[in-house]
Formats: sequence, structure tokens, C-alpha cells
Amino acid sequence: MKITKRSTMLLGVATAVLLATAGCSGGLLGGGGDGGDGGGEESGPIKLALVVPISGSSAPTGAYMENGAQLAVDEINDDGGILDGRMLELDVEDEACDAQQSVAGANKAVSNGAVVSVGGYCSGATLPEIPIFEKANIPMIIPAANSQDIVNQGAKNVFMINGTGKQQSTAALTFMKDQGFKTVALVDDNTSYSKDINTETAKQIEEDGSVTVALSTSVTPGESDYSAVVRDIMGANPELVYWTGYYQEGGLIINQLMNAGYTGKIMVADGSVDASLSEIAGAGAEGVYATMTQTPDTLEGAEDWIANYKEAFGSDPGPYSTQSYDAVRLAAQAIEDAGSTDGDAIIKALEAIDGFEMFSGPLKFTPEHTLSSGGFVILVVKDGAFVLEDDLS
Amino acid sequence: MPRRTSPKRPTASVTATVCFADPKRILMVQVIWDGLFVGSFYALIALGYSMVYGIIKLLNFAHGDIYMLGAFIGFAALTSLGGIPATLSIGALLVVMLLSMVLTGGAGVLIERFAYRPLRGAPRLAVLITAVGVSFSLEYGIAAIAGPNPRAFPIRLEGNVFNIIGARISLPQIILILIAGVLMILLNFYVQKTSTGRAMRSISLDRNASLLMGINVNQVISRTFFIGSALAGAAGVMAGAYYGKIDFLMGFIIGLKAFTAAVIGGIGNIKGAMLGGLVLGFVEAFGSEWFGGQWRDVFAFAVLILFLTLRPTGILGERVTERV
Amino acid sequence: MTENVDTTLAPKKVGAPQSFLSRVFESRQLGWVALGIALLAPFVIATPYALNVMTTAAIFVLLASGLNIVVGYCGLLDLGYIAFMAVGAYTSGIIAKAFELPLVFTIPAVLVMTVLAGLIIGAPTLRLRSDYLAIVTLGFGEITRITANNLTITGGPSGIFGIPGLFEVGDFDSQEPAVFYYITVLVVAAFVLAAARLGKSRLGRAWRFVREDEDAAEAMGIHTYKVKLLAYIFGAIWGGFGGILFAAHLSAVSPQSFIFLQSALVLMAVVLGGMGNMRGVVIGALVISLLPELLRDLSDYRYLAFGLLLVVVMVFRPQGFWPARGYEPERRKMEKLDPALKGAS
Repeated sequence: MKITKRSTMLLGVATAVLLATAGCSGGLLGGGGDGGDGGGEESGPIKLALVVPISGSSAPTGAYMENGAQLAVDEINDDGGILDGRMLELDVEDEACDAQQSVAGANKAVSNGAVVSVGGYCSGATLPEIPIFEKANIPMIIPAANSQDIVNQGAKNVFMINGTGKQQSTAALTFMKDQGFKTVALVDDNTSYSKDINTETAKQIEEDGSVTVALSTSVTPGESDYSAVVRDIMGANPELVYWTGYYQEGGLIINQLMNAGYTGKIMVADGSVDASLSEIAGAGAEGVYATMTQTPDTLEGAEDWIANYKEAFGSDPGPYSTQSYDAVRLAAQAIEDAGSTDGDAIIKALEAIDGFEMFSGPLKFTPEHTLSSGGFVILVVKDGAFVLEDDLS
Repeated sequence: MPRRTSPKRPTASVTATVCFADPKRILMVQVIWDGLFVGSFYALIALGYSMVYGIIKLLNFAHGDIYMLGAFIGFAALTSLGGIPATLSIGALLVVMLLSMVLTGGAGVLIERFAYRPLRGAPRLAVLITAVGVSFSLEYGIAAIAGPNPRAFPIRLEGNVFNIIGARISLPQIILILIAGVLMILLNFYVQKTSTGRAMRSISLDRNASLLMGINVNQVISRTFFIGSALAGAAGVMAGAYYGKIDFLMGFIIGLKAFTAAVIGGIGNIKGAMLGGLVLGFVEAFGSEWFGGQWRDVFAFAVLILFLTLRPTGILGERVTERV
Repeated sequence: MTENVDTTLAPKKVGAPQSFLSRVFESRQLGWVALGIALLAPFVIATPYALNVMTTAAIFVLLASGLNIVVGYCGLLDLGYIAFMAVGAYTSGIIAKAFELPLVFTIPAVLVMTVLAGLIIGAPTLRLRSDYLAIVTLGFGEITRITANNLTITGGPSGIFGIPGLFEVGDFDSQEPAVFYYITVLVVAAFVLAAARLGKSRLGRAWRFVREDEDAAEAMGIHTYKVKLLAYIFGAIWGGFGGILFAAHLSAVSPQSFIFLQSALVLMAVVLGGMGNMRGVVIGALVISLLPELLRDLSDYRYLAFGLLLVVVMVFRPQGFWPARGYEPERRKMEKLDPALKGAS
């Protein structure tokens, strides 16, 4: 293949254009190759990365988290910022609950010079973010994603301020024993988060021995007809059904179970705690239990916070608003303690934190960087809304 | 009568009876009934696939999304009506269903006119890709208008549960199966006895000859699209009222299943589509009984592939040669 | 890349390239220029985000060029193409993690597995009518994803994470974003070139014959079943290599990455670019993978736009934006230009 004059010229022009622009930006020749050096700046706003679902089926939760985080940022900035007057700034990126999107979002945040990551909702999408932030030495305070797989990564920059699947399972088992349920059916929706709680609960039940697992099964999310699992449950006839998936399918399963004449109790995990659950399930949702961390609705003394939130965003706070709010406050505290935006110093500061007040109680991280207690409580549906049933203390 | 929301549930007696009978046999009866119920939904949607395929040999990929569109039209109509007294809910549902059928039928006609008709002579690949495009447009168009979150349907069919030879059968299920049956009988009458029906059958045999015999081919194709889409729209409203949740992707999987049903029954054959729907319903019910619910779709698609390889004409289908 | 002699639904009138622009587009060295731009791009912008987006786009180009073999050359509509990428990604991920091997050593296993997958999916279905084939491939795509989601060896719904890098020699780390980008671009360029070459080979002509008229091809002595199966297997191999790069790039593989939407996106790249024309397909793939990144804020509307675009393009320009040029009667002329074309049947 011979190179003609014309194409040589084309190539030459392209090269010239590219090289001309190379010197002035973050190109390899420009010396900005590692990109993650934004944190080293001594002035200007401090950026916090918030990688949450903005599109896709989990988008509503992403909005709740963004609002919660924004509220904390505004409060801190109104008080004069941190590190002698530097302002905080949120860098919101979409994860869409998909690995590829979340990797792109995390990389974008790193490129933008984020200092701490305060996002992470879908466990499957958060997992591949970890190596990216780890490489850039950016601490991650994860407000929602809580799969045991994240803990098992053992990354030193990862801190989880939501209870883990393990802790949620423990709470579920405690409640089962308190209420004297003898047989239980565990149903998950075959997603990472849901399966995690199912397996963990089954494991703990087996170790404990006082409750029997009558049935452990999975359903395919996104369908309408769940008669197969309803049939299985009716056949196993357990005293309690523990649904560990999300509210969309949870509502349908509750409704179909009730229509089939199921008389036992139903409990759902935190992914199903949403106002839509009882809308979809209809009257059948009444009396359904849930394992959940404290929400502003169920917390005493959170009225002021709810009022602030409403004033800022014109709507009620939702799931994980409080955790995101706390994540930002925690990040600010750690940066202040560290006295710099250096990743290692912030990680040290986070490990040293003791007694920092959060919605879930005073904070101290375990050596695994998880909460020492999950802060899980039991809620119950009353008149279509979740209210506190048992704080398990 | 079905009530909108009934706080009291007919439960205790049902479980009591279950405990005394032979559990194995009850399970079988229940599996068959569940299969029949889901199968009648599949059949309603499969009819549209089959009719369109029979007449212009087009695999209307967007057909499942017409079902979704029907559910959302029903949702919008019921929401704008406001509160409906519980006693009127079945009547309101029928009215809304008719409205939704007319609108989805119209949507089907428009889609045919603007997306498929210009490509009537084009290669099949081009038309199929257009159909995929229409499917995307419908799904994400609805998502843009109504939002990506699932919606709770304003009317909920609820009613007594009967225990017939060990199967739990609820009144809404019976009503919905009856509606589906009536629609299918009407359709069969239309295709067999009216002049338009005759024209449809004639076009599916030989379009050019039909044209020469003075049949307005374009008009008949439009009517086929109208009827097929209206049936899917009816199924959409019924699903919304029975299951209570609708979302913009609800038509995707069920569209695939309905196509599978149409193929099993013999594509292009109306009775075959009904039969195929019921057969697929049973196959799925038994499949998830044997392998577990998470393998149900794998099982259904495996059956489809098996059918296509071993008997591509389906149960009732006639031999179809590929148009070149 | 040399002149493409594909025949398609292209307009019957093919005049000599007139304007400067079309001369540029028809230029033989366009491929090299594109490669040059791709190689120089990191000198302009090399933030982790930019490198990540560019690497993703390059992998997407590889997938589109593989699907172009199946859909563009051979005319078999495959709605579950992403399944081959899943097979490649899972195979390399599982083996590399289990034996703590760098990913390059999994290439033989991936080759075997993807060829097997191509045979399993192709063998029973390729005798089917074309529209049946579309649905069956879609079914296979879903089966692959659901199976990966249900099995333990594939890590269930969380998938596999912590996958080792491509290779490591001393201090040289292939996972350094810029290094990985260059590796990806070179691998992808080689595959795109190979696919374009395949399209011009004797086999490539047989594929186009099958696409244009299967019965006539059969009558002329082409073993259509075998030829179609080969298209499938080549497509599968391309997809499998895309999977290796995908696994290496994200260091994690999970079932959510292989949903139907992904298959549809790859198909769109092929269709929009111009079925059968490798250069058009490359551009289509770049547009489809880069546009959503540029429109990150509009993410909810982009699929609506895509759907409408598909319909509009098909109705007004069924051959794609940049269809393959030329048609068989021109071959006599081409032979004069390119002696390599002689000798083929």
C-alpha cells in the first residue's frame, strides 16, 4: 500500500493540529498524565465526587442522595467552608447501576480532581469503582451500597457508613427470634445486593439453629407474574417471608401472595422501603415488616432536618438522603482533621474518628472500615407508610 | 363483584382446605391453572404478532410495546377520571379498555403507515431494524413522558378466591380469562365470516393476486394492524388492573414470549396463536416448577429454539416458504 | 485500507468521487489517518476520564466490526451479539482469576470457547428463516446473561471482580491507562483491518452473495450453511476478543453489562454507519459510544433519540449513512486497479 502525497498531507495536518493543542492541556506531553492531582491544589473549592444513579430504574434514589449531599455541602459552605475558608463542591456523576457507566463516572470524577468520593448506591456498579479511586488514592465514603463483596475487597480507602448485608441479616434474625417465627422463606431478586442478604441470612439462621429456612429461592426482576414463587411459598407454608429485593417486584409479590390466600407475615429488606411499595401492593402491604436503617421519618428529633430539606428541595427526603448527608459531613470532618486534602492523611483521619454524631448514632469504624453496629431497626407499614416498630435495642 | 380495595381478605378457609388434600395433586392443578391464566395473556398478544406476520411477513418487534402503551393509556385515562366508586370499577375498566383499544389500534395504524409501509419492498433486514427502532422509540418515549419509575395502576381488581379441585382461583382471574376468550372469539368470527376477514386471508395467500382482484391491500393491512394492536392494548389494561404495576419496559419480555407463543402455535395462524399462548403458559409454569423460577426464561427460550429447529411450522402452522 | 468493493442496497448510480470531501472519504489511506489520530489523541488529552472513554470507544469499534461480519457482510440479523463478548469476558476473567494468570494467557481458551459458542448458537439456527434467526439470537443472548447471573462459577449477580491485567513485565504495567489505551487501539486496528480484508476475500464475496440471494448462491455451488456458520464463528471470535479487552479494562465483569440494550447499541453502530462498509461501521461505532458520553446529562433521552434515528435512517436511507460503494459489475474495473482481486472465483 503506497502512501500518496495527499494522504501524507492529511496525516501531517492532523499531527500538527494535535501537537499544537497538546502543550496547553492535560495531554501526555503536558505532564498531566496522572490526572488525579487536583487534590494537591492549595486553594479553590474542594471537590467531592458523588457517583450515583441519575438515569435508569434507580434514578429516583440517586436524586434523594444528591439532595441529601447538597444539603450538607450548603450548610458547611454557609458556615465558612473547611480548611480556613475553602468551599466544598459536589461533582455529581451518573452510574446508572451499570459497571461500564460507573467506571466512566468515577474516572471523570478523578479527572475533575475530586478529593473524597461520597457516592455509591448499586453494589454491582460500586465494586469496579474501587480500583479506580484506590489508584488515585481517593478515600471512598460509601453511603448506600452495602454488599459484603465490597467489604471483602479489603481496600484501605473504602469506608462504609451503611450497615452491611451481614448486619442487616443479623437484625432480621434477631427480629425473627423476638417474634418467635419458626419457619421462614427467603426470596431474592437475583441481584448482587439482594442475593447477598439472602445468603447471609440463610447462613446465620443455620448457625443459630432456632429458625428453619423452609424455602430459599430467586425470582427474575422486571416481570409481572410471580405465580411460580407464590406457589412455592404456599407449598412451603412458612410463618414469615423475607423478601430481600427492591420494591417494584416486592410490591407485586406481596399482592400476589395475599391474593393467593397467604396468611403468614412478610418482611422486606431496605431496598423495598419506598412509598411505592404499598401503592403497588395495595392493601396487602399493611403490616409488612422491613429491616431498614433509620430514616428521618422514623428518627426522633429529625423534624428540623426534614424541614430544612423540604425548604431546599420542595419535597420530602427519601431513602439514603440522610446517609449521603452524613457522608458529606464526615468527609468534611476528616479533611479538617487531616489538615490537608492528601488521600493518606484523610484515610488516617477517618480511621481515627470516634464518636462523630450521625443519624445512625455515634460513629467509629471497625478495622474493616464498616460501622460497628449497622443501626438497623424494624419498620412496619401502617396506613400505607413505614413507621418504627422495634429499634432492636 | 371485584372491589377496588378490600381491607378484608378471603383467606382462612382457603389454606384450611389445602391442608387436608393431597399436596402433589393440588400443586399440579395449581400449576395448570397458573399456566392457563398467563397463557391467555400471551395468546392475546401473540394474535397481533401472528396476524401481522401472516399478512405481510413482518415480525413486528414493537408489538410488545403496544401492550405497554395500552397499559399507560389506561393509566392516564383512569387517573384523569379521578376517584371511581368501588362498585363501578369493573364497568370503568371495560370503558377504559375500549378507549385504550381504539387508541392503541390507531397507534398501530400510524406506525404501519409511517415506519413500515415506506419499506414494503425493502429487504427484510431493513424492516426488522425499523421495527427495533419503533420499539425503542415507544419505550423511551413513554419513559420521557411518564417518567422511568413504575406506576401503580389506579384500579385494582380484587375479589373472592375459590378453591376448585385444589387450585386457588380468584374472581378477577376468571373475569380476565372470560374477556380474553370473548375477544378471541370475536376476532375469529371477524376473520372467518366478514368480507374484510376474507380479504385478509386472501392477501396472506397472494398479495398481488388480491390486488388484481380489486382488494384495497393497504386498507386491509391497516385494519390488520388496528386489530392486532387493539388486542395488545386490551391485554395491557388487563395486566395493569390485575398486577397493579406498570412500567415502560413491561412489554419487552412479554413481547418475546408472545412471539414464542406465535411460533409454537404456527405463525400466521390465528388458532395457532391462541393454542401457542396456552402451551407456552403451561411450559413456563412447569419449567419453573421443575428448575426454579430464575431459570424460567432460559427454559422458555430453549423450548422456542427446539421448536424452531425441529418443527419450524409450529403445531398448527402450514408450510411457509421464504419470500425471496 | 484499500477501496471497498462491497455491494449492498447502495444506489445504483456510482459516479466518480466529485467533491473534495468525498475524495477524502474515499481516500485509501483514510484508515491509516484515523489510526494516526487515535494514536496521537492521548497527547492532546490524557485525563483518566478521557482515556477511559476513548478505550471504551475502541472496544466498541472492535465489537461493531465483528457484528459487521455477521450482519453487514452475510446479512444475518443477530440481536444477541453481546453474548459472544460475555463468553469472552467471562472465560478470560474466570481463568485468569483462578490461576492468577495475566489475561493474555487466556487467549487460547477464549478462542476455543467463542468458536464453540458460535457453533452452538449457529449450528441449529442458521437453517432458519431470517426473521426467526433474529429472535433466536435474541433468545440466546438472554439465555447467556441469565445463565451467567444464576451460576456460581460466574460469580452470580455480582460477577467477577479483581481480574488481573493483560500482562506485566517487570515495572511495565499494561493497566496504566495510557498504556492500556495504546494496546487496545493497536489490537482493535488489527482486527478492523482483518475484518475488512476478510470482506474482500473469496469468503467475503460468498457472504455477500448469500446476503443478496441465498437461493442463487446455493445454485451457484456455494455451501451456504457452511459460509453462514463461518460468518458466525468469525463474529464470535471478534466478540470474544472484545470481551478480553473489556475484562482487562474494567477489571470486573457482571451480567448487567450484557443486557439486550448493549446488543442493540452495537447493531445500531453497524446500521447507522452503513452495513458492509467497514469504515462507515467504525465511524458509526465511534458516534454511538462517544455521543452518550458527550450527552451524559441527557442520558434518559438518548435511547429515544436512537430509536427515532433508526426509523428515520431506515426509511430514508436504508443503506446507512455511509454505505458500501460499488457493486459487482464494477469488478472488471477493480481488477485493473488491484491485481489481488484476480484469481478469485
